[in-house]
Amino acid sequence: MKIDRDNDILTASLEGRIDSGNSSDVENKIREAIGDSKPASVVLDASALEYISSAGLRVILRLRKDHPSLRVINVSPEVYEVFEMTGFTEMMTVEKAYRQVSIEGCEEIGRGANGTIYRIDKDNVVKVYKNADALDDIQHEREVARLALILGIPTAISYDVVRVGDSYGSVFELLNATSFSKMIANEPDKIDWCVQEYVKMLKLIHSTVVPEGKLPDMKETVVGWAKFMQDYLPEDAAKKLLAMVEAVPHNDHMIHGDYHTKNLELQDDEVLLVDMDTLAVGNPVFELASMFNAYAGFFEIDHEAIKAFQGFDLDTATEFWQKTLRAYLETDDEEVVRSVEDKARIVGYTRLIRRSIRRGGLEDPARKAEIDLWTKELIELLGKYDTLLFDVDLEEKKVKNELDIEAIEENLSTVTAFVDERLEKVGCSMKAQMQIDLAVEEIFINIAKYAYYPDKGRATVRVEVNDEPVQVKITFLDHGKPYDPLAKEDPDVTLSAADRPVGGLGVFMVKQSMDDVKYEYKDGANILTLTKSL
Amino acid sequence: MLDIKKTVNGNELVIVMTGRLDTLTAPQLEEELSASIDSAENLVFDFSELEYISSAGLRVLLSAQKTKNASGSMTVKNVSEEIREIFDVTGFSDILTIE
Repeated sequence: MKIDRDNDILTASLEGRIDSGNSSDVENKIREAIGDSKPASVVLDASALEYISSAGLRVILRLRKDHPSLRVINVSPEVYEVFEMTGFTEMMTVEKAYRQVSIEGCEEIGRGANGTIYRIDKDNVVKVYKNADALDDIQHEREVARLALILGIPTAISYDVVRVGDSYGSVFELLNATSFSKMIANEPDKIDWCVQEYVKMLKLIHSTVVPEGKLPDMKETVVGWAKFMQDYLPEDAAKKLLAMVEAVPHNDHMIHGDYHTKNLELQDDEVLLVDMDTLAVGNPVFELASMFNAYAGFFEIDHEAIKAFQGFDLDTATEFWQKTLRAYLETDDEEVVRSVEDKARIVGYTRLIRRSIRRGGLEDPARKAEIDLWTKELIELLGKYDTLLFDVDLEEKKVKNELDIEAIEENLSTVTAFVDERLEKVGCSMKAQMQIDLAVEEIFINIAKYAYYPDKGRATVRVEVNDEPVQVKITFLDHGKPYDPLAKEDPDVTLSAADRPVGGLGVFMVKQSMDDVKYEYKDGANILTLTKSL
Repeated sequence: MLDIKKTVNGNELVIVMTGRLDTLTAPQLEEELSASIDSAENLVFDFSELEYISSAGLRVLLSAQKTKNASGSMTVKNVSEEIREIFDVTGFSDILTIE
């Protein structure tokens, strides 16, 4: 066994098989190497480990007892499975071995705050992280991408972590996708279509409510920027900036944080959002600020720089940004558009100035000129406005989660299609979908037949999806006669065909196939809630 | 959204359904059966193309089974795993002859 000592780290390379035949031998060798020295950490390198039995696992446990920071690294997928099954991965640090991926000669297709995305083959892309120790970033991005997907935002989720040189990368499937930047650069006549899809996605993001605590609050970040600016602005302007940011009310809707055309992909006919690591909650003005920077703010002095970044020139960027603002605000009123843009610029310049100063911009004449220009514009804008708030219509999403429909049997297909569309987005299995369809049919048909009889009325169907665990909740609401379908006794399913009545199975099937079914009568409405884990 | 194909082989009637057998389509099957259930001694349902069945569909199957218990036979073949499970929880696995 090879044992290395580097500074205070002792690395033992495990090889071949470790089972009851040789486990004590392995343990003795490692303990011998450690001797009386007390290394700060003990690392077991499992690159050449092919198999480990429970006797081997016990050795690791015993070593860990004496060296609590013990880590196992470079674990093959097969051996990792053993660690995972036995619960070791939850108890201690067990790192998988990562395959090496080369990006030499690969096309850059996207660039975000934390990394750059390359296409490695026809179907796959890799996001290479800037931070050398990016495993936490990767984990974070995976979690937020999953959250976004569950909340109904079309995105790609990484399926593998790899090494790219000395950096980490995460691999996504992205078949035949083209970024919006590329489309705008190559097919200028598509700009209006791109604006339309770009705004549709933006509105979807901004109308998505995020459960509390799942994403960072952008307001806190921007308050931090405004505080930083206190030393770099005249006192009045500095105070006003901080007060304006602090006056933005808490907002629990999603913002992307880096929403520019390189981060939107067209895959077949579907528009996908990528680069999710900046996801946050907050007021849309914070989003518009970063968008303004991506199309204008960054390039106010160096007009050519945008070509290298986006692939199109500043005139195109300006046209795209101005059209986006109008489509997003649903107005052509120049005064309204201008005021919203100005509010975005206030936050945008604040970020740019802080960013440049922190990177030593004040010491570099060219960048100092940029900081001075941004500062002058910021001070002017602060003199013109007293609030960062503006009005935008974002009702779209709520309608999508809820269907209000006449409760008649003929509408069953519409209700089922509505529910299935939501389920498909979260990757529901065929079996679960069928069970949910069954329950939806029974409940809706019950309402259609009996709730308002002999009259007719309406029903509301609401579909909510939660993560951790992935769970779907479907609520039916009607204002018909109070009726608890769960009160009915279950049928005897052991009876022979001759003895069984032909009906009465519906609600029983619902109870059998859902995890939970609840009924309540509240404020003149029958409310039935179905819950099922996916 | 339900397509029903009937084939007669001597005294056997084979019914192949494609699509969904639910509240909206069950009456279609009921109608087909009432027209032909007595003419064939052996009734065979082929479920290979059936995607979905709800309690409304089960009701029709149970009525047919009752009729065939009185005279003749009824068999259901090529049942998918998903539908099989519905038969299991509802006790239909014990009532129907499933091949």
